[in-house]
Amino acid sequence: MKKSFLITGAAVVATGISSAFAADIKVGSAGGITGPIPDLVAPMMAARDLAAKHINEQGGLLDGDNYMLVKGDSKCDAKGAVDTGQKLVNVEQVVAIIGPNCSGATIGMAESVTIPAGVVILSESATAPSITDLEDKGLVFRNAPSDAYQGAALADMVMESGYNKVAVTYANDDYNKGIAEVFEAAFKSGGGMITASAEHEPEKASYTSEISTLSRSGAEALMVFAYYGSSGTTIIRNSLENGLFDMFFGADGMRNEEIITDIGADNLRGKIMVSAPSSDTESSSYKMFAEEFSAAGEDPSAVYTPGSYDAAFLMALAIEKAGGTDRGAIAEALMEVANAPGEAIMPGQWEKAKAAIAAGRDINYQGASGSIEFDANGDVAGTYSLSVIDNNGKWVEK
Amino acid sequence: MNELIGFVNFHLIPGIVLGSIYALGAIGLTLTFGILRFANFAHGETMTLGAFVALVVIDLTNWHVLATLPFAMLLTVLTVLVMDRLFFRPLRTGPTVILLIASFGLMLMMRSAIQIIWGVDLETLSKGLAIPWVLFESLRIFPKHLLIVGAALLLMLGVHGLLRHTPIGKAMRAMSDSPELARMTGIDTERVVMATWITGAVLAAAAGVLLAYDTHLDSRMGFRVLLPIFAAALLGGLGRPYGAMAGGLVIGVAEELSTYSWIGDGPLVSPGYKSGVAFAIMIALLIWRPSGLFRGRVF
Amino acid sequence: MDSLYGIFLYAIYLLTMGGIYAVLVMGLNIQWGFTGLFNAGIAGFFAVGAYTSAIISTASSGRHLGGLSLPLWASLPGAMIASALIAWAVAWICIRLRSDYLAIATLGIAEILRLVLKNEDWATNGARGISRIPKPFEDLPEPWNQIAMLLLVLAILLVLYLLLERARRAPWGRVMTAIRENEAAARAAGKNVEGFRIEAFVLGGALMGLGGALMAHHVKFIDPNMAEPLSTTFIVWVMLIIGGSGNNKGALFGAFLVWTLWSTSEIVTTRLPAEWELKSAYLRFFLVGLALQIILQRYPAGILKEHRPIGK
Repeated sequence: MKKSFLITGAAVVATGISSAFAADIKVGSAGGITGPIPDLVAPMMAARDLAAKHINEQGGLLDGDNYMLVKGDSKCDAKGAVDTGQKLVNVEQVVAIIGPNCSGATIGMAESVTIPAGVVILSESATAPSITDLEDKGLVFRNAPSDAYQGAALADMVMESGYNKVAVTYANDDYNKGIAEVFEAAFKSGGGMITASAEHEPEKASYTSEISTLSRSGAEALMVFAYYGSSGTTIIRNSLENGLFDMFFGADGMRNEEIITDIGADNLRGKIMVSAPSSDTESSSYKMFAEEFSAAGEDPSAVYTPGSYDAAFLMALAIEKAGGTDRGAIAEALMEVANAPGEAIMPGQWEKAKAAIAAGRDINYQGASGSIEFDANGDVAGTYSLSVIDNNGKWVEK
Repeated sequence: MNELIGFVNFHLIPGIVLGSIYALGAIGLTLTFGILRFANFAHGETMTLGAFVALVVIDLTNWHVLATLPFAMLLTVLTVLVMDRLFFRPLRTGPTVILLIASFGLMLMMRSAIQIIWGVDLETLSKGLAIPWVLFESLRIFPKHLLIVGAALLLMLGVHGLLRHTPIGKAMRAMSDSPELARMTGIDTERVVMATWITGAVLAAAAGVLLAYDTHLDSRMGFRVLLPIFAAALLGGLGRPYGAMAGGLVIGVAEELSTYSWIGDGPLVSPGYKSGVAFAIMIALLIWRPSGLFRGRVF
Repeated sequence: MDSLYGIFLYAIYLLTMGGIYAVLVMGLNIQWGFTGLFNAGIAGFFAVGAYTSAIISTASSGRHLGGLSLPLWASLPGAMIASALIAWAVAWICIRLRSDYLAIATLGIAEILRLVLKNEDWATNGARGISRIPKPFEDLPEPWNQIAMLLLVLAILLVLYLLLERARRAPWGRVMTAIRENEAAARAAGKNVEGFRIEAFVLGGALMGLGGALMAHHVKFIDPNMAEPLSTTFIVWVMLIIGGSGNNKGALFGAFLVWTLWSTSEIVTTRLPAEWELKSAYLRFFLVGLALQIILQRYPAGILKEHRPIGK
């Protein structure tokens, strides 16, 4: 009796660990679920899940297999990413990984786990320019443009909006510092003037003193490079309450509904513009995603969420194209399904894509976040637009 | 003149507000330390809990933030007492470092529980912008800052009254000075420990609510201020509530003044090093006075 | 890929990481377990070691100090020396402090070190960290590269264990215990208490630097986030206290046990029902905390006790 219990127990464990259900195809969904930006990551994970749901509702992968996203907590930290990467790759035996979110985590996981194991990763939010130079054997992709694009694009857009003298404050982390540096160089070379620039340590209770020092430099606007949650909202609030600045520009880490509910749409309208990868909100791809994501009770304007959906959808397309679960074949297929030429596939159109692949036709995914064309480094070029707050208190592209 | 007003508006006043909040947190921490002899790492999470209870009350009733304080305190006290019963009391006879490790485990548990219950998003207690009163055409005073500093002062006075004028407060002081002696004179240890947890939790809940009132709240807010609060408690001398009050103010004000342009146009200390200021002061003081500002005093 | 083979690879990784943590825990054991020095700044010494070895071993990148491309036999000792120097400076300032003051002072110093690493871009590439750190044996075919790395860590651990066991039994170790148990008596016996304490602090700091260096080579990337107190300092303390402070076997055991608990808990929580999906990551740390409480209550003196009578 006892023995048979043990055997059953062992069987249960084994079922749990290996993919005993032949109908599951596991893909890792790694992200900084805990760590410094849990608030940004949660909607991104939800958007990936939405893509998986669409795919499974429309026939699933290959022979009706279940597209199963296995979550991994990369903690926005290289050590955490390596840890969760090891489990996804070796224990869960995933065929590919979506994520992780943060650049440091992405570099750590790629260099130490996934490149040696031959597993392809696709991050929707790792934006550090240094990821471009990884010796990745074609295994590291991202569908978020490198910061190098955004900083330069933002510099142009700020000047086009009529501001030539700005002060800069940036959170001292890899993401915000990267954009700030590119922005400053581009802004100066475009003839603009940086009156003062200072980093700030994120997660402090007040930034009044830092901003007041910046405000005395005679700037017309303040550039806020920060995550909205860890310091951005506080900086805007401190500035407005104290009358230190009344015009702000930010990058995509600031684009979140929370900042509007916190400070109030009326207090912010006309005073803040943020850049974000232009998902061309008029495109039918974005609308399709936005409608579905809103219906699931989530906020489609949350930063990178269209890209999250796209990443999960693209990975499924790659598996379908590869026609099996061979890790190498999936990595090769990823670029084919994303890039032109081919039959246009939009978010939610899984059945159509499946039919096209089955018929041997080329496909070209047109994502919610843009058309997504990978270059040889596995990067995408970025097009950016400025978002402002509309009369309904929502972010809209200008 | 403008310089001076700018200094007061943007450096000194925010420093005092932040300092009062640090002070409230530090008193609770230092009391637990004095009586139970361990640094409680779960103290930051206790503050977060208070802030989230306030958020729930405001969502339900739309009351003023300060009106939620009693509820925040009550629930925080109950939670802390349960925690003590489950996790600290069984370990109280062992070496105190075990309590410290237990408090670390508790910190993980409390933060996870808060994230499971309330999620990880940024929330706010008072939406919109605060509008300052402008005095003499340039001095800006925010009503919310007056309320925060006022509430903090009242609570500190309360602590003073408790320690000076009530039997339990006197027992707390006695036990903090010399646990063996206190036990010999027949002080009920368990009652004193309970009173310490209650006082610490009340102040922590208040600190959390006031911090959230000044800025915003999320699941990591308590941990974020835990290190400066430790610095404040240590600066004042561990186990010394009045020292903690002074330490909190010193740390809060020093952090904000460090980025003032004392020399030239730029900030004195690069804002990237702002959170190091508290520790630099603390370490400098320790070299000069190895057991804190208030070493000689008995409470 | 065969799933058993995958689990085998994960087990190797788990042991390697556990071994690296064990180096850190042994360092702390010298400071706290033997001598009673409450160092809460482990992350600082860890980071100094990690960055030093990264700077010594990476190729030139133009983004940070370095370009020496030196092999392991230079980077590991280099890291230990750098951490020992920092530890010596810290000890020189702080060694007179009472234990709890020492704890918070070292915690503060570690935070300042982290800020330096984050702000001094010219040396460390700031918040973006240092990548392309060479990993020993990475050119070997899988799984031998991973097995070789594990063997390297285990060999270092074995040498450390033998040396420390010897030191613990030697007069040096006995003086340390004497200082911990009764400082006044040790002083009265004519021992230079401060000197011994500084020695223990520096030695422990050097081991923490070694642990940092091994971690940097293992992860191949280092940034200031890796010096956060939560994932470095606190977890090492938990390992030592659970395993058994003052006992080198306990330190080893605690490191492997706690790391296994920390890492494998995710495998369990991702298997929770769908409605728990995202929350399972938060629940994981709730369970880790709870497990910690249970172990503490069951083994208040650590799972493996010290072999000496405990004073207080």
